[in-house]
Amino acid sequence: MRIAIFAAALLLAGPALADPTLPATDIIAGAVDGYVRPHMQMFATDSARLADDFATLCTTPTAAAATIVRDDFKTVVRDHAGIEFLYFGPLTLGDRSASLLFWPDNKGIGLKQVQQVLASKDADAADPAALAKKSVALRGLGALEFVLFGTGNEAIDSGADAYRCAFGAAVAVQIKTLAATLAAEWLNDGPDGPRAHMLDPQPDAADYRTTKEVLEKLSGALLVGSETIRDQRVSPILGTAEGKPRPKSALFWRSGMTVPALIANFEGLKAFFLAARFPEAVKGNMWIASGATFEFDNAIEALQKLDGSMEANVADPAALQKLKYVVNVTRSLDTLVGENLSGALGLTIGFSGLDGD
Amino acid sequence: MWQRRAFLKAAGAGLVAALTPRSSEALQRSTLLFASATQEAPGQYGARVLTDRGETLLEVPLPVRGHDVSYSADAGRAVVFARRPGTMAVVFDPAGQAPPQMLTTPEDRHFFGHGTFSADGLLLYATENDFAAGKGKIGIYDVAGGYRRIGEFDTYGVGPHEMLLMPDGKSFVIANGGIETHPDYGRAELNLETMDPSLCFVDARDGHLIGQLRLDAGLHRLSIRHLAVDAVGRVWFGCQFRGEGEPPQVVGFATADGDIRLIDLGAEEGGRLAGYVGGLAMSRDGETLAVSSPVGGRVLCLDTRTQAVVGGLDLPVTCGVAPDAQGFLATNGKGMLAGLGDAADLQRQFAIQFDEHLRLLV
Repeated sequence: MRIAIFAAALLLAGPALADPTLPATDIIAGAVDGYVRPHMQMFATDSARLADDFATLCTTPTAAAATIVRDDFKTVVRDHAGIEFLYFGPLTLGDRSASLLFWPDNKGIGLKQVQQVLASKDADAADPAALAKKSVALRGLGALEFVLFGTGNEAIDSGADAYRCAFGAAVAVQIKTLAATLAAEWLNDGPDGPRAHMLDPQPDAADYRTTKEVLEKLSGALLVGSETIRDQRVSPILGTAEGKPRPKSALFWRSGMTVPALIANFEGLKAFFLAARFPEAVKGNMWIASGATFEFDNAIEALQKLDGSMEANVADPAALQKLKYVVNVTRSLDTLVGENLSGALGLTIGFSGLDGD
Repeated sequence: MWQRRAFLKAAGAGLVAALTPRSSEALQRSTLLFASATQEAPGQYGARVLTDRGETLLEVPLPVRGHDVSYSADAGRAVVFARRPGTMAVVFDPAGQAPPQMLTTPEDRHFFGHGTFSADGLLLYATENDFAAGKGKIGIYDVAGGYRRIGEFDTYGVGPHEMLLMPDGKSFVIANGGIETHPDYGRAELNLETMDPSLCFVDARDGHLIGQLRLDAGLHRLSIRHLAVDAVGRVWFGCQFRGEGEPPQVVGFATADGDIRLIDLGAEEGGRLAGYVGGLAMSRDGETLAVSSPVGGRVLCLDTRTQAVVGGLDLPVTCGVAPDAQGFLATNGKGMLAGLGDAADLQRQFAIQFDEHLRLLV
């Protein structure tokens, strides 16, 4: 999530929390306990199952075992869509975010690297320890999708391509390991854990210096999430700048998970918004919370009407219109969860763009 | 001062007549004029011409968010460019005598928010994105021809940001930030792993590359973005770090004969810039550089000869910075205009937000 530096755009100064009846600690605890921890845990559990089932498939290749792995993959993609916008704390360290999902990748760098590995049967790429030192584009969900759904994927069902299976299994181990690390770090209840740091920020801390900064990170995650859906997921499919839709620029088009992942993105944003108790925190401005949940639901409902491949969707005017509508919903959400929510919470969004201008 | 007198003369009696008595008085009192893009209200954008006392002389509405302003005394016009990936710019008369005029990029280009007039004011140049190819371009617009686009040069890099006309009037210096973006991907950065920022000197007459300077290979994720030229012709630049971990130094200078280096501001002052420079300004004598960091909420002033920090100002989300008669003026995203150095007494709060650049006009 490379636009995530935007989270830093939120200001440090501003008036106090608008509604003192809901302490900031309730918002923070609600977000961490009610959303971040359970979702990170679910991601870790499902990733572990994927890695285990992948190992089984490679040992005893059958079509049934391959189906289980493909279903596991789809579950992990949905889980990931629910945590990828949590761009504060453990996920922001090092190259973690990019190694779970190397995206946007408009030049197909990830695809080229995966095809090269599969063609050369690079032994290191099939060894989890050695793979951990390779390009991020080889270590995440994009690489795994090609193994399971890209050209030649049938060979893992039959065992005809043992290398392809071994590489896929190694990628699954990468994801499992990182997901376990994220969950363990988030579940750390000690004074060094992220929860303690967020609830008790210190002026000289490297992560959070004030409670306001914590709240800005939390509300900023909603904005980053909305922007990412628009700029990195839906707009590229519409291809407006070059005048024609580009269905293959869709994330996860091979596995048919483009739309389910988008739905999981919006569901995740909505659940996070509610778990952090933002509606109660801005209850004097109820329209913000009702507007935001209305828009989350609008996007989910529009996306649920899209079935079939992305190729088919962009060829169908009604479906294309729904994708355009989702872009408009994200713009509305930018205002609601960006300007309006921040304003009502007494946080100010910095006007100076901090994303490279 | 001669520039201001020329400006007033060019504006003629009409300007004074068109201004409110208060603005007219403000203009007479002021010695310098500035311009900045603004957000006037949520979702409502504009540009303003301000005096060195913080009085507003002119408001120009914009349909989209603006970025930097460039001015030509010879053309008698200023231009405010849309923020990337915007495709429009608005040319306006800072004296408010002529109606604003809009210009747009071709469909396969967009602006990056910066540009410059030629020395004689006959041409306007802007950094642009050839996004299908992922290459930086300089769009060339004919002032007298209604700002018709008459050609383009390469910037010899990806993601160009600020460009300046060198004091010789015959060459440009361009900050190729190195970051690839595409309008279909909004403002998302598409090539952080393979970034290749550079500073290029380009001949203004035919667009040929005079020289291309790069920092050490280990600094390939340090995007060179903003520029200012000092009294001896060195090009000072400010960077934004797109890598992981502790940011490196983010201010340096380059010379047309091929030297490029970052300077060490020390852990304390360097750290205050937080790996992100938003704007640069050179004092009118070319000897003091001001560097702003909206992330660090800090403006630093450097002596360009000794490279020592000689002053500073804490101002949250500050980005706009421009030379005043003696010191500097800085603006921020919360509507503050504040002075540094000899202008330190000035502090003025506006009910608007200033966008990222403040430009001295005359």
